[in-house]
Amino acid sequence: MATPKEATVFVLDISPSMGSTHHGRSETDLTWAMSYVWERITAVVETERKTLEIGVLAVKADETQHMLGEMEGYEGIVEVHPVKQVLMEGLAHIRETIWPSSTQNGDIFSALVVAVSMITKHCGKRKYGEKVVTLITNGRGEMDDDDMASLAKKINKEGIRLNIIGVDFDDPDFGYKEESKPAQKAQNEASLRQLAQSVEKGSFRTLASAIANLANPIPKAKGAAVNFRGVLRLGNSDVYDDALMIEIERYLRTTAAPAPTASSVVVKGKGTQGGSLASSATVESAGVSAVTNARTYTIQDPDAPGGKRDVERDDLAKGYTYGRTAVPIEGSDENVVKLDTMPVYDLVGFIAAEKHPRYLNMTNSNLLIPQRGNDKAALALSSLIRALDELKLYAVARFVKRAGADPRMVLLAPFFEQGFEGLVDVELPFAEDVRSYTFPPLDRVVTVKGETLAQHRNLPDVMLMKAMGAYIDGMDLSEFGTGPDGRPGEYATVYETFSMKAHRLSHAIRTRVADPQAPLPPPLPVLTRFAHPPEELLAKNKGVLERVIQAANVKKVPPKAKLRGGRNRAPPEKPLSGLDVDALLRSGSAEPRRGISASNAIPEFKQLLERTEDLDGVRDVVRQFGEVAEGYVRDSTGDSGYARAIEALRVMREKVEEFEEPGIWNTWITGFNKKLAGGDLGGDRREMVYLLKVNRLGELEEGVETGEKEADGEEAEGEETEDEL
Amino acid sequence: MADAGARDFGRGDEEDDEVEDAGYVQAKDAVLFAIDVSSSMLEPRPAASAKHEPEAPASAALKVAYELMQQRIIASPTDMMGVLLFGTAKSHVGNGEEDDQSAMAYPHCYVLTSLDVPDAADVKRLKSLLEDEEEFQELMVPSPEPVAMSSVLFCANQIFTQRSPNLSSRRLFLITDNDRPHVNDSTQRSAAAVRAKDLYDLGVIIELFPITPLDHVFDRTAFYDDVVYRPASGDLDAPAALMPTVESVGSGDGISLLQSLLSAINSKSSPRRAAFSIPMEVGPGLVIGVKGYVMVKRQEHGKSCYIWVGGEKVQIAVGTTTQMAEDTARDVGKEEIRKAYKFGGEHVTFTEDEMKALKNYGDPVIRIIGFKPLKMLPVWATMRAPYFLYPNETDYVGSTRVFSALQQNLLKAEKFALAWFIPRRNAAPVLAAVIPGAEVLDETGHQKVPAGLWVIQLPAVDDIKRLPDEPSVHAPLSLVDAMKVPLSMLQLPGGAYDPRRYPNPALQWFYRVIQAIALEEDLPEAPDDKTIPRHKQIHKRAGHDVQTWGDELEREFKNISLELADTAPRGVKRSPEPQTSLPKRVKTEATSSSGDGDAEIRAATKNGGLKAYTVVQLKEWLRSKGLSTAGTKASLASRVEEYLGS
Repeated sequence: MATPKEATVFVLDISPSMGSTHHGRSETDLTWAMSYVWERITAVVETERKTLEIGVLAVKADETQHMLGEMEGYEGIVEVHPVKQVLMEGLAHIRETIWPSSTQNGDIFSALVVAVSMITKHCGKRKYGEKVVTLITNGRGEMDDDDMASLAKKINKEGIRLNIIGVDFDDPDFGYKEESKPAQKAQNEASLRQLAQSVEKGSFRTLASAIANLANPIPKAKGAAVNFRGVLRLGNSDVYDDALMIEIERYLRTTAAPAPTASSVVVKGKGTQGGSLASSATVESAGVSAVTNARTYTIQDPDAPGGKRDVERDDLAKGYTYGRTAVPIEGSDENVVKLDTMPVYDLVGFIAAEKHPRYLNMTNSNLLIPQRGNDKAALALSSLIRALDELKLYAVARFVKRAGADPRMVLLAPFFEQGFEGLVDVELPFAEDVRSYTFPPLDRVVTVKGETLAQHRNLPDVMLMKAMGAYIDGMDLSEFGTGPDGRPGEYATVYETFSMKAHRLSHAIRTRVADPQAPLPPPLPVLTRFAHPPEELLAKNKGVLERVIQAANVKKVPPKAKLRGGRNRAPPEKPLSGLDVDALLRSGSAEPRRGISASNAIPEFKQLLERTEDLDGVRDVVRQFGEVAEGYVRDSTGDSGYARAIEALRVMREKVEEFEEPGIWNTWITGFNKKLAGGDLGGDRREMVYLLKVNRLGELEEGVETGEKEADGEEAEGEETEDEL
Repeated sequence: MADAGARDFGRGDEEDDEVEDAGYVQAKDAVLFAIDVSSSMLEPRPAASAKHEPEAPASAALKVAYELMQQRIIASPTDMMGVLLFGTAKSHVGNGEEDDQSAMAYPHCYVLTSLDVPDAADVKRLKSLLEDEEEFQELMVPSPEPVAMSSVLFCANQIFTQRSPNLSSRRLFLITDNDRPHVNDSTQRSAAAVRAKDLYDLGVIIELFPITPLDHVFDRTAFYDDVVYRPASGDLDAPAALMPTVESVGSGDGISLLQSLLSAINSKSSPRRAAFSIPMEVGPGLVIGVKGYVMVKRQEHGKSCYIWVGGEKVQIAVGTTTQMAEDTARDVGKEEIRKAYKFGGEHVTFTEDEMKALKNYGDPVIRIIGFKPLKMLPVWATMRAPYFLYPNETDYVGSTRVFSALQQNLLKAEKFALAWFIPRRNAAPVLAAVIPGAEVLDETGHQKVPAGLWVIQLPAVDDIKRLPDEPSVHAPLSLVDAMKVPLSMLQLPGGAYDPRRYPNPALQWFYRVIQAIALEEDLPEAPDDKTIPRHKQIHKRAGHDVQTWGDELEREFKNISLELADTAPRGVKRSPEPQTSLPKRVKTEATSSSGDGDAEIRAATKNGGLKAYTVVQLKEWLRSKGLSTAGTKASLASRVEEYLGS
């Protein structure tokens, strides 16, 4: 399955005219051309494939240095990079060498001859999938096309593909024609065009067209490799004679395209702060060293200092946990926890395709096709695929990938695409994989009293339902795009979307390599193409959307209203009956409370706070609560009391935040930190300091909106009526 | 337990990268069962049908606790659980034996297993209580005087305060058939209400599982409405009020007390956690709030760990990683470490600000860009398990009605919304299909799947692999028709896949074995694997039709082979002429490739000639046998020899 080798030589015109600007562009012809070349070269380097080889030749250079040596007519040609895998060093060299020269000396055609020789010599008799020479020039200056015929012959003989890309060349296919073209350039263009036409694999494009093609990144997906070969069966062939068996192969269909992954590095040398790396933002050459991990193991040992003791990896047994019980499994026993399985697709039964909810499909997808070269299997599988399709059924199978692998339940669905047929395979959940969260229904409201309401502010009225329906119809994308036949077709198909994750980083890295000084490029426009609804369609549905918005009457909650405390706080929460527990406490019909006790601190703190009338009261309650929290730390043996202290501080911080009085918290926590540092709370409490940090119990920002909360901290609903669930 | 080290085992790593920034509370759950042990709770209720034994509510509750404990060890190995009995003659709260102190502080409260991550001893304790009649009789004795609910609630309060501080979810599962404790004592009722408020302020949720009393209907208003709070935490489905009374007598639907209690508690077994809470842009200018939940996720068994067996008590060794520079083996601190990308054999770095900018794809959002018919969503266009979406009124009042209008209209029109989806800050945007899901109820009227929207991440063109070569032949109509017969005979119940019928056999087996070792019991004999197809039934129902299909296949294959022989070779390997006598087993195996390959490789093994095979060939052969293809050539060769030698 080895991918074929490829060799490419870029021939770059670096004459002074390439160094000047034309047609009002701000960048020089060479810079513009190089943006194309860098894109192509770095895309190859990124693959890390040794079999993709690149050579670079500069023509109209100030020096002469190439394989054909000092021959007449071959001056001003420099081999910048031989035909081989490009590494960072090579990239740096290319970057430093390709600058406009000060001479018009050097002939394009001669350079092409050198390029062809480079390829021919390099490739020799070895097999190459593709040999390419790409010329980029603005076609200004002298050109000697006498040997065109023999050059074309040589190119054809070697099976080389010749791409000619010209700066401001006329390109009817792309729709570009240069105005007031110099006569010399017109003549050169004509000869180059003629050359491109006289070779079998030739192309001739204007640079703008070549760059426009780069706007679409090269899709990262490759052909799929087999990941399973085996049997699909219906019935147990070991026991019954009437079992059905089909030899099949399985290929990946979807899988996340790889994105560049970062590795950890440190600046080489002494243990100084790695500031240089952070600030330089350049391509580091030899300045960094990889980071490796070393693992050490400790066990609890009350006799050891600190209660912990290091143990050797060799003295440890492998095992698992059952709850908090450690269960060692000796080496030979390890297989007892494994289910004994044999690789096979075992059909379990069939289900109605329409009834199958898609949300049960929980993984990427694979494709099953018959074993290669096995016509009988092809016939058999084809009959299964077509029968499933005609009966509108899916199959469910138990799939074991390797001997001893865990079984999976998979859905098998018929798949057809342009003459191809197969079965799609997607994994289904087991009982343990489905979480049973319950939510109120969306089409009715059930009250505490058990009544079912059809009208409620949480339910859409007829207006909203109708408007939404119209919007859904209006914004239909099924015919907004262009189909393969040029007629209206699906908009934003999966084949038109690019992986942001894979391309964004790789684009940034390649840009950085091409020009270490350049700022980060913005994401390629093609990546964000579908970030918003298409303008044109939206314009058509403006009125409809207006009606939805009116009927919806959605109100954004201002950040402050989200807080329940604060000066305008709501009355304390009541139980379902509405009993005023607070009143019970005040009236003394329940046992009276004074201050905050250590054993029931959090509830008592909250309840006291609910009863305070002024800021001084709040300060006092916080002080009392703080003393309790300090007590938790002071009385803690080791870290035994830390979790309670952290919980108390978290509650305190949240409550003070609700009062929008960050100062109260900040004063308190500063004092607390001082006590910790000073050893006033029972000795060495560094662990507690660390916990404060990881639990984000630092100071509150003063005078800043602090309404934001985490997704998991399910906040209270602003306005709920009493009777509703 | 709740120290910094415990965080490593927290749910953070379970929810892949979702909860990276989950904040400061430990995302763990603690459940304390409080089971009422009164004479009526110990009285067996008549069975709902002949199939079931009569069952006392108290023992049913213990069984459910035992069930749940085992389940949670598998499903959420870091969550805590405990069992508290109340109304018992004995009192026991501390760590020692029945002591006077706890009898004073919390009379008639008995901690059966303390609130903690369960261990083997806890499971054993519950098991032996259920299995040992004598033990049960000795402990499960109701106290002569009524227990004070306020002290039960305060006892629970202290257990939570001391044993599970700083957990994100703490719940008290209260199981009782007494709807009116302290019916004539308003002081006691007030005291209970105050203690309930304490629990509420502590962040403990009381889940009431009422059992129908012997002689009347459970009346929540008599006492429990003063104790139970509507979960203020934005939990819309208010479980306390929704939880139907567990019917015991005359329910008539054939469901036993045990089953219905089990299903009620199961539906509450995992606390609901949102994976994200983000704005949903239905159209420009129309934004609502939604929360995303992970409802489907592969449950794996715990990773292996290293265990210290050198001491008296086996214990888990805690591993810590230190980082070293590869060149000098010098320890390096976190602040020195930079991220770099390998490129062209070397490292490319960015400044921290640049890294931040690179990862910033905009604010989290789910933005609808248009709609498509569901049939434009191919089955294979899936990358991972979907998220479930439900509206959230916190930031946008009116979200629920808009969401409902969207969901209902999409259901009706059989369409999905195409959306630009950034679930979290710094998550790369993807295009997603937002499909409507209808509510599904089970036989008993409990919700099986809630109504809402599901977000299915779509593949980008980069994520789609090219198709393999297309098969050479297609089945003719006659063969397809022959295949239809067995297919229509073998539909699954209800014509649908119900995950609940298929427990993960590997996971179940793993924990049965681990449990047996932990409890020092005999290893189980054979796994109970519900995923294995019912081969006997398949044989009975469809065997004959498969034979008929097999005959047809042979006929068609013969035709095709003749045709292929006539036409020019198409470059495909073909199996040899079919035998004249039909093989009994309906197989499609191409005997040529695999058969000969075996013989060849076997011969090669004997002559020590495996060296002549390439790694690719060896791998292919191993793969065809379902063996591992990892390792060096030497290890591949020895694997081949091993296989053939055995």
